[in-house]
Amino acid sequence: MYLNEKVVENRLVGHPGQAIYKMVLKGQAAQTAQPGQFVHIRVAESFDPLLRRPLSIAGINREREEITIYYRVAGKGTRLLSQIRANEYLSVLGPLGTGFTIPRDGEFLLIAGGIGVFPIYSLMEAVAQPQVKIKLFWGGENKEFLESAGLKHLQDLGIDYEITTLDGSLGQQGLVTDPFRKYLAEVSNSFAGVKDKTKTPPLWAAACGPPGMLKAVTEICLENGIPLEVSLEERMACGVGACLGCVCTVRDAAGNLRRKRACKDGPVFEAKEVVWDAGV
Amino acid sequence: MQEYSNGHQVDLTTRLGTLVLRNPVITASGTYGFGEEYAAYCSPSSLGAITVKGITPLPRLGNPVPRLAETPAGLLNSVGLENPGLEEFINSYLPKLAQLDTAVIVNISGFSLEDYSLMASALEEHSRPKNRDQARSGGIAALEVNISCPNIKHGGMAFGTNPKSAEAVVQAVKRNTTLPVIAKLSPNVTDIAEMAKAVSSGGADIISLINTLLGMSIDIRTQKPVLANKMGGLSGPAIRPVAVRMVYQVYEAVELPLIGMGGIATWEDAVEFMLAGASAVSIGTANFVNPMAPLEILKGLEDYCRQRGYHSVQEIVGLAHG
Repeated sequence: MYLNEKVVENRLVGHPGQAIYKMVLKGQAAQTAQPGQFVHIRVAESFDPLLRRPLSIAGINREREEITIYYRVAGKGTRLLSQIRANEYLSVLGPLGTGFTIPRDGEFLLIAGGIGVFPIYSLMEAVAQPQVKIKLFWGGENKEFLESAGLKHLQDLGIDYEITTLDGSLGQQGLVTDPFRKYLAEVSNSFAGVKDKTKTPPLWAAACGPPGMLKAVTEICLENGIPLEVSLEERMACGVGACLGCVCTVRDAAGNLRRKRACKDGPVFEAKEVVWDAGV
Repeated sequence: MQEYSNGHQVDLTTRLGTLVLRNPVITASGTYGFGEEYAAYCSPSSLGAITVKGITPLPRLGNPVPRLAETPAGLLNSVGLENPGLEEFINSYLPKLAQLDTAVIVNISGFSLEDYSLMASALEEHSRPKNRDQARSGGIAALEVNISCPNIKHGGMAFGTNPKSAEAVVQAVKRNTTLPVIAKLSPNVTDIAEMAKAVSSGGADIISLINTLLGMSIDIRTQKPVLANKMGGLSGPAIRPVAVRMVYQVYEAVELPLIGMGGIATWEDAVEFMLAGASAVSIGTANFVNPMAPLEILKGLEDYCRQRGYHSVQEIVGLAHG
């Protein structure tokens, strides 16, 4: 859809040094938005910056016709976006792309790296609890980042989470894959005596974050036989599958390498089909 | 033709030799996919023609990512002609394209003269409507010969920067098709008029210009080129003055009808290209910014003509000369 969405809110959240903003848009996008999809926003009327900015949907409220987006000011485009005031209108394409599969039973393991947690927020809200148990593993640079990017929100939601920081200023020091791996070992041990695997609750996983993290999480999930979906990020132009700028590489059933478009075929993909470091 | 209560009719019909379009607004190759991607935003039936993504004889994965780098009012790309290949294109894409109520221009690219001949003859079989459903659009309306892609190592631009080989490529296509042949010129040459004369000698019916300008962007944090392929083709408003200049020069050099493109984002830009000598315009990168751009441009062109008393949009072609 080609929309004009009204800016309800657009403000810095958390520590100014982290430059993370929350934006709420009111309009039609909320009607069809699914967790994992994104909106493609034109940040200014001018042609510099030229391209729209793809931003993942972090919250969906159909009744209020609102979607929530979090973004970090990282360049000219996001800086201009941060200057938009409430009650202004933005040109929005979307919601675009394919979203996450939402499990209906078992335990849903969510792994997020840095600002990759933003699409995970809308996913958590869409999962019916307590039928599905959620556990989030979230890694960030430091305490300031995690606080700015929504730690309080997680606490309010009452989500079971484990956090890591690179500098150890909050949670466990290290990478998010460490507690994830450890948790899976515990789960595996606790069901070690159960011979009939249909008696153990199914495990599902979804992840969003930097490519290195996604690759590591994919390996862990493949080892443990857990179906994983990953949300990929790639430099994007059109957002609708026309320009072939944002491709990722997959292996098809016949074993051949193929491209898929992050904007149209994704951004959410089955992790097992993705070829990391394709080199071609 | 459309009628207005408070103004005269403006005939939008655009004749590019034997290629007759309902209006002069076309979407450029590589920016409009295979006609489906933008259908929800901008109906192909409202366009003069659509140009599909460049096809090669065999499927191509294209270049690694990153393939895109944004520059001031511009976009560098190094997609590298990713496409499903001729056979898959004919079997899976062409039947759907033939159903569209618009003229379909197929962009072909190759690595040898044989590649171009082969594609022209394979597509020739599909150039006429197969049944009544297709009769409205008539299958393929024209072939656009890409001798100007900057993103592949051999072929592409190598053909388009040497007048003799450009002529030979056009000749090879022309010998194997009855369709109108459009030669798409590269701007990465010293003398664009010389290239235009060469493709004209080769038998081109129409010239389209410009393809992207070879460029580069370097990330000062990593101190490495942004694009995986290091260099890419620059498009967008940043290149428009270069494109206008080249259309102007080619209009004076050859008699062939021209399709102008290169950074057209508004109707004013389109008027500028037509005044420079383009009979039709192609919209490319602007689609990414504003999917309604082709429709808005068409409306603006029509209004401009009506307000200035022209009865046909073609009356403004080349007015900047003389």
